[in-house]
Amino acid sequence: VNYRIGIDIGGTFTDFALLKGRQVVLHKNLSTPEDRSIGVMQGLQKLAAMEGQHITDLLGQCDAIVHGTTVADNTLIEMNGALTGLITTEGFRDEIEYRRGYKEDIWDLRLTPPKEITPRRRRLTVPERILFDGSVYEALDEEAVRACCARLKKQKVESVAISFLFSFVNPKHEKRAAEIVAEEMPDIDVSCSHEVLPRAPEYDRTSTTVVNAYIAPRVTSYLERLVDRLKSAGYRKQLMVMQASGGVMTKEYIEGSPVRLLASGPAGGVIGSAHFGVMKGYSDLLCVDMGGTSYDVSLVRNGQAPAEVSWNMHHRYQVGIPMVKVETLGAGGGSICHVNNGVLEVGPQSAGATPGPICYGRGGKLPTVTDALLKLGILSANSEFAGGSFSLCMAGVEEAFQELAYQLGYTAEEAAFDCWRVVNANMSQAVRRTTAGKGVDPKDLVMLAYGGNGPAFAAIQAEDLGIAKVLVPKASPTFSALGTLVANPSIDEERSCISPADSPNLERLRSLWGELDDRAEKYFADANFPRDKIIAKYQMNMRYRGQNWALTFDMRTSKGRGDLSFVDDSFGHRAIELFNRRHMEEYGHVREGETPEIVGLRLATTVETPSPDVAKGFSAPLRHAKATKTRQANLGRGYKETAVFRGTDLRPGHEVTGPAIIEEAFTTIVIYPDWKARVDDAGDYELTKVNEG
Amino acid sequence: MTFELNRKLAAKRPALRTSANVDPVTANIIRGALETVCFEAATHLGRAASSAIINQSNERNASIIDSHGRLASGSIGTPHLTFVSQLTVRYGLECLEEFDWGPGDVFLGNDPDFGGGHLPDYNVYAPVFDDKGELVLIQALQAHQGDTGGKDPGGFTLEATDIFTEGLAIPCLKLIHRGERRRDVIRLVERNNRFPSFHGDLAAMIGGVQMAVKRLEDLLRKWGGDVAKAAINYNIDHSEKRLREEVAKWRDGVYEADVFIDHDTQGTKDVKVHVACTIKGDQLTVDLTGTDDRPELVGVWNTFGNSRSYIMSQIAAAIDPTIIKNEGLFNAVELIIPENTIAQPPPNKPAALGSFHPACEITEAVCLALSNVVPERSAPQVYKIGMPNAVIGFDKDGQMWLDQGVDARSMDASAVQGIDGWGSCPNALGNLLLSEVEDAESRFPVINISREMTINTGGAGQWRGQPGSLNVKKVLEPTTAMAWMVSAAHPIRGLCGGEDGSPYANHFEVGTPKEYKVGLSAHARLPAGAVIAYQHGGGAGFGPAILRDPQAVKEDVLDEKVSIAAAREKYGVVLTGSVEEYDLEVDVAATDALRKQLRAAKVGRGAHS
Repeated sequence: VNYRIGIDIGGTFTDFALLKGRQVVLHKNLSTPEDRSIGVMQGLQKLAAMEGQHITDLLGQCDAIVHGTTVADNTLIEMNGALTGLITTEGFRDEIEYRRGYKEDIWDLRLTPPKEITPRRRRLTVPERILFDGSVYEALDEEAVRACCARLKKQKVESVAISFLFSFVNPKHEKRAAEIVAEEMPDIDVSCSHEVLPRAPEYDRTSTTVVNAYIAPRVTSYLERLVDRLKSAGYRKQLMVMQASGGVMTKEYIEGSPVRLLASGPAGGVIGSAHFGVMKGYSDLLCVDMGGTSYDVSLVRNGQAPAEVSWNMHHRYQVGIPMVKVETLGAGGGSICHVNNGVLEVGPQSAGATPGPICYGRGGKLPTVTDALLKLGILSANSEFAGGSFSLCMAGVEEAFQELAYQLGYTAEEAAFDCWRVVNANMSQAVRRTTAGKGVDPKDLVMLAYGGNGPAFAAIQAEDLGIAKVLVPKASPTFSALGTLVANPSIDEERSCISPADSPNLERLRSLWGELDDRAEKYFADANFPRDKIIAKYQMNMRYRGQNWALTFDMRTSKGRGDLSFVDDSFGHRAIELFNRRHMEEYGHVREGETPEIVGLRLATTVETPSPDVAKGFSAPLRHAKATKTRQANLGRGYKETAVFRGTDLRPGHEVTGPAIIEEAFTTIVIYPDWKARVDDAGDYELTKVNEG
Repeated sequence: MTFELNRKLAAKRPALRTSANVDPVTANIIRGALETVCFEAATHLGRAASSAIINQSNERNASIIDSHGRLASGSIGTPHLTFVSQLTVRYGLECLEEFDWGPGDVFLGNDPDFGGGHLPDYNVYAPVFDDKGELVLIQALQAHQGDTGGKDPGGFTLEATDIFTEGLAIPCLKLIHRGERRRDVIRLVERNNRFPSFHGDLAAMIGGVQMAVKRLEDLLRKWGGDVAKAAINYNIDHSEKRLREEVAKWRDGVYEADVFIDHDTQGTKDVKVHVACTIKGDQLTVDLTGTDDRPELVGVWNTFGNSRSYIMSQIAAAIDPTIIKNEGLFNAVELIIPENTIAQPPPNKPAALGSFHPACEITEAVCLALSNVVPERSAPQVYKIGMPNAVIGFDKDGQMWLDQGVDARSMDASAVQGIDGWGSCPNALGNLLLSEVEDAESRFPVINISREMTINTGGAGQWRGQPGSLNVKKVLEPTTAMAWMVSAAHPIRGLCGGEDGSPYANHFEVGTPKEYKVGLSAHARLPAGAVIAYQHGGGAGFGPAILRDPQAVKEDVLDEKVSIAAAREKYGVVLTGSVEEYDLEVDVAATDALRKQLRAAKVGRGAHS
């Protein structure tokens, strides 16, 4: 049996999921921020040892290594990307500084601006102008481009973004400018807006291109380093990298547009959730991932978590690429509990891994959610934590909650309990913000909880939201790594093409789709996927005149060589019908008598790769599990002697009735009062509300 | 529609009657849940509406009012809208018995003389009853409508002398009775609007409110009405307490400011707003006595509800941003808004343009006064633009199009102590998204030629105002252009020794022999190919310019926000090297000498240092 390995690098831990056949092996080790590829190799060594093999043999038998990485996000968080310059259309030097007027906090006059990737001195303009229909209104001043290069060279710029108005309709000027930059500044990276994000409007496209230029050199050098290390350790296949869209692709493809790596970490978890949920028989899911610093919420509907394009400020920079939608709240195990003017607040500040919660015993002095869980007896000072790497200690925890309690005027127990209530309320509200945007009632969803801390809160939040069923995968602590193995190789690109939908330019549609088809085929061929395995979705972007955001829908799905015969005389008519259906679904109404406009087209291509099989059902006979011990714990109804189970003792068919606590190697599952948990045939947990109604 | 009504609507309201006690944590959880419901209602509206100003520019607000008419919770949107919504609802509550309020009802109000802001701000609201049938809350949803059925499309008429010129005024109108749509009433409202998409927007507002009411009913059931009421009382009291704690830290005294508008829409000059902010212990009083009351003024009358709101918007900016925005803010502050002034006009005055000016000058005056005590949170939360250049034409099918000109640009982004002005506007407007070239040009026969910042237009100061932008646009077909110019004679004011922002200026038919500067207002016919150029005012500076860090001035020069000459004249900074070579250096000795000289000259002129 050959191996497949999923790797997900987080802020604190690097997670591994090794798949051989149906069997999943989990591993976690600390990330190595100075060079994250070192942590990856350490983990692979460990996995090889667990398999009783040398790393060369393990990697030699590896069909695929799929990788989710935060290297792009970290570049934006740490602001240590390339020294970047921007060349843009004369008259439009400052769009990127205006941000369309957007400010993150309308009340806080002391909000400071985000650090500028391209301050004004590195934003240069050239005379040129293309109009909305692609016609050239003013020719490109090539000498001006050369003059810009001279000025950027003087400033020692390492990476250049080029973004001209309407380049997504006619890229001629951008292409020529890129040639000139390559001549004048041969050793630097160039990012063109018509390639990075070929769509309107200019701020969104320019910003995305600038971010791309900024992170490109770091992402590229990281990936090249990792590929080298893997190769010399015996790996012979292509490294596949997770994208924000939820698909994976080769390093060569990513290098053309590294901005696609932003936010790819959580995407792996969501894609894994969709697969897991469907295998278990549930296709509408609320996915909650609570780790050390954040709480990520996302939705799976009809078994899918499609990438979306929207107004998306990512680390304060607009990034317009398709992303699997994840709402992030600063609420995790490390979130700090504090009193602000008499009001108890939890987060968003986090104690992180260092110093970490007080109970980690690494010098943390401020009480965190993890400390509150310990105080409440949900976690225990006497059990192994994080897979046995250390134990939690009570020293200092009591005092910290006494200090909080003093400010609030009651007892330390009450303070810890209130921290638990507040973080719960914050999380429920984050869920509602997510579901509100989609018009979904959480009551109609099944919750899927993962991440180190997700299962400790899942059932109580479900109750708060009216959700009756919660799934907790056995692999929940490294679920995102497992998710990368589910994700399929995919390329999703768009081109702009504006026209009224009742009179489309069929010739242009065919030629643009043909061009995207060729691109996809090339990259899939490089990754050894044959043409006949490619599934292609030919999609349209359309809107009513006056709308800002287009809706995307499928015109045709086909396998194999691109057959464009569907682009025929009735194309426009069918497109309008499908658009109206989509509009009704999304917004609940259509505009009678209005002809929508075509904004562009997309080609979403993918190859289906084998996903980990997940058993479902409860064929094992029902039996009651035996608690290994009891301890005083407050699960929302005061301190009571509470049964504690060891996860490794539980087998398919076992049932645990709340109140109870199940301790797994990397996580703790809390069965709140009125809830019960049952282990299914795959060894995963299903939590249900007892006595519904 | 009398001053008596205004007094009644504005009167402080008592706490809700409840037998429950609530702990702070529960109160805070309930607050969060109410805010989330507001978010859900506003989001629903944004998704379902079809007009651009709602679904693109985000000009919408949701708020929850309690049964005493107090602001219990506000949500996303602009502060200036959040703080006006409770008065419209209070008028509705006055009619509770007369109009037979009951579960399932939905109301509409927009009348400036009955608590409203201006006519385009439609407020749709609905009562929420608990299980005992007691009215506990009212969910309100506000959105700016693109038309109000008056003389001019869009609802802004330069020469209007009464509210009826501007369109249909609605004090309190029941749209839904016990869950049933009142079709006749809704059709009447729809008929009084030029845009066919309005019926969808109104339906979306009603739908958003109804959705929120259901959620609130669920929540009341879960917590019990008494606990919810106790939580609202607690949160309002808590905000009042926290605002008073802030005020108590401010230095006692009377701080006054005058701000002028260049002229009204007919050319009457120097329209004045006067404010006196009195701080005594933990009590802040804002008094607009002395504000202009000339009856002949046209277009510069701000409604009472708006005046309260625009004062509060600046106060909210001057305090710790974590203080929750609810009725507690109004409870903590005494507002004196004299009758018959432009801040509380007599009945039937037009209201559309007053929401720009003097509304913004009221905000600005409060800022100037408070800058004496809380400089670290003082920057005017205003727009001084008069009106954006609106361009109107007809397409080949005879359909009217309107480019409202709310384009990406920079204006009035002033500095605050320690932070230069940044972005394109003050924080309070940071939820709106400005229009882009590639969207506008795909729709309208215009070409945008430039939108860049203009060098040296940011007010000089120890912290510099963001430069204003020059927006240049060419029309490709014959069109009508409308403009109202202010802030040329009286640009945005500098704070604590900082210089004013640069003046606004507007030119039509640029580059032709007919080129002219718009002095007051324009309602012009432009030929195809005509160019219009709007220079927006830069933000104001904060603190004396000669105290600015010379290195920061050097960076500004490198970024071409300040010229080498202005560095010398305004900031007293002498630079060597050149911008083109990126080798500028501060000549420290020459800078010290020049600054000494400038300081002496200032003292010599008798200016305060």
